[in-house]
Amino acid sequence: MSEDRIALEVVGLTKTFGGLAALNGLDLRVREREIVSVIGPNGAGKSTLFNVITGLYEPDEGDVRLAGRSIVGLKPHQIVRLGIARTFQSVKLFPNMTILENAMVGQHCRSRAGVLGAIVRTPAVRREEARIRERARAALAFFGPRLVGYREEQPAFVLSYANRRRLEMARALATEPSVLLLDEPTAGMNPRETLEMRDNIVRMRDELGLTVLVIEHDMRVVKGVSDRVVACDYGRKIAEGSYEEVAHDEQVIEAYLGRRAVG
Amino acid sequence: MTGQPMSSWIRAGLAAAATSIFLAAVGLIERFRDLNLVGEEVTFAGLVMAVVPFGVGYVLARPRIERGERREVPLPRAALVGAVAGIAAGLGFGAAAVAVDAFGVDRVRAVFLNVTEGLIELVTFGLPPVAGAGVLAVMSGALGALGGAYRRSPERWRRPLGTAVVAVLVLGFLQRIVPIALDQLNLERDWLYSRRTGGLTWPGAALAAVVAVLASVVKARLAERWRDLADRGGSEGAEPFGGLRLRTALFVAGLIGVAALPQVVGSVVSEVLGTVMVFALLGLGLNIVVGYAGLLDLGYVFFFATGAYTLALLTGATLNTFTGQAEPALSAELGFYLAIPIVIALAAATGLLIGAPVLRLRGDYLALVTLGLGEMVTVLVKSPWLTPLVGGPNGMRNVTDAALFGFGFRSPQHFYYLGLAFVLLALVVSHRLAASRIGRAWTAMREDEQIADAMGVNVVRYKLLAFAMGGAIGSLGGALFAVKIGSLTPASFEVIVSIQVLGLVILGGLGSLPGVVVGALVLVGLPGLLREFEEYRFLAYGAALVGIMALRPQGLVPNVRRMRELREEERAQDAWARASIAQEREDEEEYEEPPVEPAGGELRP
Repeated sequence: MSEDRIALEVVGLTKTFGGLAALNGLDLRVREREIVSVIGPNGAGKSTLFNVITGLYEPDEGDVRLAGRSIVGLKPHQIVRLGIARTFQSVKLFPNMTILENAMVGQHCRSRAGVLGAIVRTPAVRREEARIRERARAALAFFGPRLVGYREEQPAFVLSYANRRRLEMARALATEPSVLLLDEPTAGMNPRETLEMRDNIVRMRDELGLTVLVIEHDMRVVKGVSDRVVACDYGRKIAEGSYEEVAHDEQVIEAYLGRRAVG
Repeated sequence: MTGQPMSSWIRAGLAAAATSIFLAAVGLIERFRDLNLVGEEVTFAGLVMAVVPFGVGYVLARPRIERGERREVPLPRAALVGAVAGIAAGLGFGAAAVAVDAFGVDRVRAVFLNVTEGLIELVTFGLPPVAGAGVLAVMSGALGALGGAYRRSPERWRRPLGTAVVAVLVLGFLQRIVPIALDQLNLERDWLYSRRTGGLTWPGAALAAVVAVLASVVKARLAERWRDLADRGGSEGAEPFGGLRLRTALFVAGLIGVAALPQVVGSVVSEVLGTVMVFALLGLGLNIVVGYAGLLDLGYVFFFATGAYTLALLTGATLNTFTGQAEPALSAELGFYLAIPIVIALAAATGLLIGAPVLRLRGDYLALVTLGLGEMVTVLVKSPWLTPLVGGPNGMRNVTDAALFGFGFRSPQHFYYLGLAFVLLALVVSHRLAASRIGRAWTAMREDEQIADAMGVNVVRYKLLAFAMGGAIGSLGGALFAVKIGSLTPASFEVIVSIQVLGLVILGGLGSLPGVVVGALVLVGLPGLLREFEEYRFLAYGAALVGIMALRPQGLVPNVRRMRELREEERAQDAWARASIAQEREDEEEYEEPPVEPAGGELRP
């Protein structure tokens, strides 16, 4: 865990929306195969951070580097291809596509069949299609029996809430990322599902060798998965360190519980 | 528990009356008083007048959902409801006739051209208007009661009866086609169709009804057996209808039927089928843009025109002038089969050209802008700027007949095969694209553009690709159209073509390939076969589209694969559930008691 190669680096990231700074010179370094939790009260800029890293927003200032290479200015689909996948706070699936198809879309950036190939169905294209299917299935199987078997062919909208979250993660895994960004992966889950998800996040690091950046509110999950915790408020980093260190940090407690009224 | 109150029956009846008045006012009744369907007694006019009260009774007797429970209307009550609504419908319709008569038919006719003395006479059965209206009300009531009773009759009666009536009526409508086909096959026709009335003979109609009843009963039996087999034998080994061998036989028979069709149905119907093919190609192209990629393109006629004019120019067509003909400013003398790849490439390029400026637009805005582009087609073609190239308003002639080894495809019966080949090609191409990563990227984009982008789909590229592929297939429709007609004028490329094509794609079911074919057959084929209704074509279009949106938004032929698999899926689900219960239990143990940990420090999220 203490490999020192930096997987993802965020330097002085600033993003303002009409004068309101959602990110205000945020710095962040995530080492390879490390799970870093980002915590902070609502509006601290956590989701904005994810949106800037994945190219949905362009930052006003600062840089985002993946394995040392700047990815600012790239389009979201280019960034996925470079190895950053994500999930969304409000689950975003392709509801009318089947579960398998959802995961297969994840493989899109790892395949290359063109129009002619698809029409003629060359052997190479057929092999690629089989590989897409196989890898999508493997990604679905990461979550046990819930998304496999007869379920593959069901449209995604029939899934329960927790399974939608799992499918969204499977779709992200199917992009074969090196860095995975999870935006509140346990929001809306019951305690049992939450704990299972906690274990799954750890497995992503241990079994798949992923670097994981996770926004999470459930402190049991944060405690259970984090190699390091970063606390944000007002778009700045206010504390960083082990779970224990951050959880006892004065500023963090203040950010969560509110500031003392100024007399 | 009394269901709907009487006032609502009457309201429904008055709505039916309004429908009848509308149909009468647009001329759908009087104009077809001589269109005999069966004998001289059943005419299209009579059918229209009868269908409305029957229909209102039928609809009112439908089962209702009350507090989550499905309630069937009891039979006597269904008949009563139907009768009341039918009488209301008849009274309303009759009252309108009386009012028009009192006011003066000629004065009404100044506005409603189709309101004539003959219409009033027809509606009131040649009696004095008030007496006629009374008779109309009584007959409507009877028909309404019949409609209600029919809705509530047991399925095993209802199905065969309905099938028989529909079969007879369809045969009656096909009086321009079936007799010709029989003649072509050297079969006797007089027993089925009367030469005097044009419609079916009564014995012929009776025979058709009997055949339809038998077919319906046999089908129900087979379906029952299939269900038994499936329930008993599980999924494997329960091949219905004799399995693969029968299916192969059916497929071969279908193939022979399709191949022999133009020889059987004669050149009039082949001509219509040719138009159906052209529109099916346009539909298949638009289906990629709208159905797969979800880009609402109303300017699709652009590709129709591009295909037609490009082919004409590449194959040495000439311009029409007032004095005769002239060479276009730019042309080539290629053969059809050499020209086609160039047409496709050019259309794809046009697709990129059109797609590029509208990339950022979505939904309504995209529709508006592309509508404008579609409107530009005729403007461009007629413009002085392009006249030396495409002949302006006068158009072009001498388009190639796509001869292959000296065998031309201009005549309807020959064109059919050319069209069929291209439609099959387009079907295969569409199907394979849809089943590839490209099709998935399109679907993902249609579902959520931003998320598709975030999952690695290059949205810009796939939008452009959809426009290019849609354009390429659509241009084939244009090229074939040019071959079929042999000459081109701007009038063929009005923006209404876009709407027609969109209509057939929606009618069939967005994204459904069989849907496009069915849509083309229904929206292009039927009006083409029933020439009498030519004037009512757009009325029918509108009605069909409104109906489909209200009743069946997924289209006539939605994704059938899923529906067929539903049963098997249920069984698979049961098996899966049993197998996974054990697994669930293990999980349960593992996660049963979420250990309640003290939140770290004083931190309480």
